[in-house]
Amino acid sequence: MPAAAARHDRGQCLQIAFEHPVDVRLSHIVKRFGAVTANDDISLHLGPGRIHGLVGENGAGKSTLMRMLGGTLAPDSGRLTVSGRDFTRLTPESAAACGIGLLPQDPLDFPPLTVWENFALGGGPVLGRRQARTRLEAACARLGFCLPPDTPVSRLTVAERQHLELARLFDRNARLLILDEPTTGISPAQRETLFAVLRDFVADEGRLAVLVTHKLAEAKALCDTVAVLRQGRLVGRFDAPLDTEAILDAMFGGTTVHETGQPAPRTPGTPDKKAATAPLVRLAGVTFADEKAVLEGLTCTLPPGAIIGLAGIAGGGQEIFLRGLAGLARTVAGRLTVSGRDLAGKPLSRFRAAGIRFLPAARLEEGLFPGLSPLDHLRLAFPDRRRTVADLFASRCVNGFRLTNTPDAPSKSLSGGNQQRLLLSLIPDDTRLLLAESPTRGLDAASIAQIWSHFRDRAAGGATVLFFSEDLDELMTHADRILVFYDRRIVADLPAVAGTPDDAHRLGDLMTGQAAREELRP
Amino acid sequence: MPLVRAAATLLLALAVTMGILFLAGAPPVHTLAVLATGSFGSSTAILRTLSAMVPLLLCGAGLCLTFAVNLWNIGVEGQIILGSIGSLWVLRAWDATGSVAPVLYQIGALLAAMACGAAWALFSGLLRTHGRVHEIFSGLGLNFVALGLSLWLILGPWKRPGMASMSGTEPLPALLRLPAWGGRPMSLVGLVLAVCAFGLVAWLLRRTFFGLALSAVRHNPRAAALLGLGPEKRMLAAMGLCGALAGLAGGLLVAGLYHRLIPSISGLYGYTAILAVLMVSGSLPLLPLACLFFAALTVGSIQLPLELGLDSSLSGVIQGVLLLLVFAVRRLRPTDAGRSA
Amino acid sequence: MTPDILTAQLTAVLFAAAPLILAALGETVAERAGVINLSLDGTMLFAAMVAFAGARASGDAWLGLAAGAGAGLAVAGVLALLGLVLGASELAVGFILTLFCRELAYFLGHGLARQPGPDLGVLAIPGLDALPLLGRAVFRQSPVVLLSVLAVAGVWYFLMRTRPGLLLRAVGESPSAALARGLPAKRVQVLACLAGGALAGLGGACYSLSVKPGWGHPQGCEGAGWIVLAIVIFGGWRPVRVALGALFFAAIQVAGILLQDVLPGLSGTLFQIAPFPVMILTLLVVNARRSAAFREAARRLPLLGRLMPRTAGGAPGAIVGALDKGF
Repeated sequence: MPAAAARHDRGQCLQIAFEHPVDVRLSHIVKRFGAVTANDDISLHLGPGRIHGLVGENGAGKSTLMRMLGGTLAPDSGRLTVSGRDFTRLTPESAAACGIGLLPQDPLDFPPLTVWENFALGGGPVLGRRQARTRLEAACARLGFCLPPDTPVSRLTVAERQHLELARLFDRNARLLILDEPTTGISPAQRETLFAVLRDFVADEGRLAVLVTHKLAEAKALCDTVAVLRQGRLVGRFDAPLDTEAILDAMFGGTTVHETGQPAPRTPGTPDKKAATAPLVRLAGVTFADEKAVLEGLTCTLPPGAIIGLAGIAGGGQEIFLRGLAGLARTVAGRLTVSGRDLAGKPLSRFRAAGIRFLPAARLEEGLFPGLSPLDHLRLAFPDRRRTVADLFASRCVNGFRLTNTPDAPSKSLSGGNQQRLLLSLIPDDTRLLLAESPTRGLDAASIAQIWSHFRDRAAGGATVLFFSEDLDELMTHADRILVFYDRRIVADLPAVAGTPDDAHRLGDLMTGQAAREELRP
Repeated sequence: MPLVRAAATLLLALAVTMGILFLAGAPPVHTLAVLATGSFGSSTAILRTLSAMVPLLLCGAGLCLTFAVNLWNIGVEGQIILGSIGSLWVLRAWDATGSVAPVLYQIGALLAAMACGAAWALFSGLLRTHGRVHEIFSGLGLNFVALGLSLWLILGPWKRPGMASMSGTEPLPALLRLPAWGGRPMSLVGLVLAVCAFGLVAWLLRRTFFGLALSAVRHNPRAAALLGLGPEKRMLAAMGLCGALAGLAGGLLVAGLYHRLIPSISGLYGYTAILAVLMVSGSLPLLPLACLFFAALTVGSIQLPLELGLDSSLSGVIQGVLLLLVFAVRRLRPTDAGRSA
Repeated sequence: MTPDILTAQLTAVLFAAAPLILAALGETVAERAGVINLSLDGTMLFAAMVAFAGARASGDAWLGLAAGAGAGLAVAGVLALLGLVLGASELAVGFILTLFCRELAYFLGHGLARQPGPDLGVLAIPGLDALPLLGRAVFRQSPVVLLSVLAVAGVWYFLMRTRPGLLLRAVGESPSAALARGLPAKRVQVLACLAGGALAGLGGACYSLSVKPGWGHPQGCEGAGWIVLAIVIFGGWRPVRVALGALFFAAIQVAGILLQDVLPGLSGTLFQIAPFPVMILTLLVVNARRSAAFREAARRLPLLGRLMPRTAGGAPGAIVGALDKGF
């Protein structure tokens, strides 16, 4: 958009934003990424004074749609109408001038800069020091937060970073708040605070909030109206009071039995049997250290054939724990024994030789080679079988893991679910300890179910799966045992948890250091 | 179409060069004519050009290996110098009265050249893998150190009997020089070795697991580590091989061309090789052509000071203009070949 | 060591450091915005030539200085055009430019070799030059020293205390966050690149008009640009520390000249190349301080902990990993 026209739009928009209540209409929005249609002819009206929910599976197209409202993406066709003014596309500047504020899923701020500096860089002219601090204080007071202005943002928690973003958007007269999956990485108590702020925000009739989420429970708790996306299309609109079944049907397309990865019922007899077998992993006074932090004084044992979950907020130490067991973070003290072999201080190759494999959360950045094909990945992972790679692909990847049959496509073109399937297929079957970092993050329900079925098969075969998840429901559903981390210590070692909301709250409290170290009785 | 684009880029580079010549007060057409005749005008000139192509092709092939793992091996100049030092060290040990055949010393010299070049490159590589010092800095630093080392040898322990001279060390006796071709200033040995090296690198990169592993490390070193591919070992292997080839170039320059160690023996062969690889975007088939072209420019410009009173750095100017334009055109009208992997 | 000798050494070090300080500050500004300018060495040499030519043509050394800055700006402009606007590989274009500028400087400057030309002379500020130690070293000496001191103050103030400076730092930390907030990231990067080039050109001009007057093949400032790149890393992208780093390297050069008088046996080439191994060593030390092994050792020996880098950061976000890209 030429600069002059953009300025013109912004000026008009600014006028409008202050005069009328904000009202957004998306008309026939289409957005394609190569062969994938992320948004397919979506028309949606968002009226003022309400909290709208945008619900759908991971990969349904929710974030894409909202990024167009936020100005960071342009639709291929369709129209955006904000408070009566038409746009073929928005830019971050024009969106801000229209009063639109987008809070992305991963914080998009400047970590080494301080809180007031981040606040001063809100868009538009940069604020001076005194002005920024004054306005920061005012915004925080109005929203009920407390943020220390001189702390570098990198030292804030995820919830605090969200608060800063909200304060910034509020100060810039945002009248339409879009929050994209805001509850990943924050505790249940922090979530309640956030929801209270949102309710307060839309109490002013001229304002609007949109909550983008794949968690139905949250949408039910907060939203006045819900729009459901499935595979890029708008498939349903529901008003409060919300009918869970109907929404689930819309999200998953009416299949009565949708795979949500319910575990096989736990046989009561097995705990004794498991206790009798020798532990797979034994830690005694272990200290793991990586570039960011140090985890000290770890002592525990992990049995074979178990699925163990790690819970904790960012910085709790569970990431270092996983990486230390994988051989990626150094063991600087203590004894680490896996299957009887002492691995403390040994290089990664020894960990791999002991049958330990790591599944990173950042699939493309840490696990795959973006420009190489699945066949090349197989050649690299199984060098002794590289002559018969095509057969291996067909039997292992396509039949075994249900990977799409595109052996020559670069891995960066695969969907999230397929990338994870490819990663899993590269892990040898005789792996004894599988360490998975957020294995189902951002995946659709079918992929998630398949992955859990695969993990259970591995556990049944005697391997131990150790996983970290930000989703408490997933932890409570699938883990035989949960290790809770807070402030770089294991604060609780819990046997399988029933999964009631009470349990979730107690788990959240442990994760955020509210509760004393205690065992949770099921 | 790509041919048309290449021709257009060349013409544009020519135009810009003429402009620069005009600015310098030099006769544009005459200058270009001198360049052309200097490189291809006679059989001697052609042989000189081929001779200059040998170190470029050797280093270029080696650099394709290091670029395959995203390493900027700027230290290639120092590796050439170390290679030349290593080969001269062996050749100086030849005793005219001894009974060992000279050819064994020649082979030994070339092997020593490869070993010294590889060691110098590994120095840089280890600083990268274990010291996290980027190879641009270590390479540059070691280039200057190598330069200093060669100067010290030329003016000190290896100086000509009588007086130290900046024209280099004592020339090698005829028996130790690599066989020339029809008495002309070029050794066939070099050309053969360069072509073999080029073939070796092509085979390594395209047809071996090693090449695939290098490609994986380039795409994602962390994933390569997780898969047990040993990215650090691969990087060191690539550096070592490149250093060996660059060292071989240095050894050939001593034994086959200059027949002595001179200051700045690497004479920008190393940096020019980097430019050649950048110009063909790492694509192996086009590399010999680029090396030939750059060699022609370098050789042709030697005549400039004598015939026109111009500095011979004109060849570097033309190379720079051409490279910049190639990069600009590539971004303005990208083709599939132009997009890097 | 008598105060006179100390002053004399300080004078020599500040004098030798001035061009390095100017160029390093320029590169700090550029890298803080997320732009790496590998063409520094060629730029400084080219600017030295242009400055000398301009000074000779106009008869005024100060005009020559301006011409040098302009030359640096022009080269940075090419880098900005190809690397930032057209999106070619910053490293590749920078490397090509450094070779190109060097060759161009030698080619166009052919007739200037060993010719006489205007010099910036000595600038004396009466009153201030009577200060003990620093007085003579800064205030009665080539104006380049005062220029470099003012530049340190100016760049520090700009980056840390002004709003455009804050914006520049933010863009360098996370260009994507800046874009998402509607901040003009690309424009900021281009301007920072140009400013960095101009300062580097100024540094180069200081060589041919004062520190190593005249032109030749070689001129004497070859290799300085590469050391400047290392100085920026060594100084942690902070203006004052970068200037101190430049002083450190200048001190090595001066010490080399001193030792040559004392120990005439050692070859002159040794001192010419001395800064480069030191450059590698300093980078080793800087990286070692951030390594896991050092961290562990610091935990065991609290004394070592004082040597730990205090701030969490190091490189601006946009620069991290920028050197690991291919072409």
